[in-house]
Amino acid sequence: MSKNNNKGMTLIVKTITRLTVGLILLYGIYIVLHGHLTPGGGFAGGVIIALSFIHLMLAFGKDVALKKVSEPIADLFESIGAVLFLSIALIGFVGGYFFLNFIDKGTAFKLFSAGTIPLCNIAISFKVGAGLFAIFVALVLLKTDSKGEE
Amino acid sequence: MLYFLCLVLFSIGLYCILVKRNLIKIIIGLVIVEYAVNLMLVLFGYRFGGRAPILAQDQTIENMVDPLPQALVLTSIVIGLATTALIVAIAVRIYDKYRTFDITKIRRLRG
Repeated sequence: MSKNNNKGMTLIVKTITRLTVGLILLYGIYIVLHGHLTPGGGFAGGVIIALSFIHLMLAFGKDVALKKVSEPIADLFESIGAVLFLSIALIGFVGGYFFLNFIDKGTAFKLFSAGTIPLCNIAISFKVGAGLFAIFVALVLLKTDSKGEE
Repeated sequence: MLYFLCLVLFSIGLYCILVKRNLIKIIIGLVIVEYAVNLMLVLFGYRFGGRAPILAQDQTIENMVDPLPQALVLTSIVIGLATTALIVAIAVRIYDKYRTFDITKIRRLRG
């Protein structure tokens, strides 16, 4: 986040973005980690995480945001999310069946409880956050080589 | 009736799709139609005076609204996000090709 680049929006928007973008990211991580206790979970938290990076891109231009999370890294995180979710489900075959909750479930309404469900939420948040950011990057980076033929 | 409001919202979206000529306005109409259907599905599971179907620490399960349509609508919202992204990408490609959003000026595909 260099202070002297002319791309993006005005100084006011950039200053406010610099203050709030970390809070938005932390709120997304909070929603993901408390997904088995409160409303929210992997999808909603992943959307908020992606929105923090999209916020960065809207305020500072695409170069600053792509320096933080480039396109191959977003692809990589999306694939990691899918593979993690599938492998959590497949490990259940050790005890018997698909999606077996093989970790100790703990006491209800505590943060570290519910076995594999928080891990599934984290995997879904990787997939959704990286996927939504990749959709936005793909829309921004669409090639405009053809010069209007009419 | 509450369901009548969903019909009104649906009609507004349908009017927007059928009458407007700007591609962006047509996309907004599609999104309004989609949300009208989502609202109707959530209203099917609503009960007056009910509370949100969340199990908290010392609360008994009584007088909750039906959580099943809400789960269905959550999936529907995700699918709507994907289709809207696809439609917007196609609109951007059309704008690249024709330099306009007016659907009456896009006449290359006419037979």
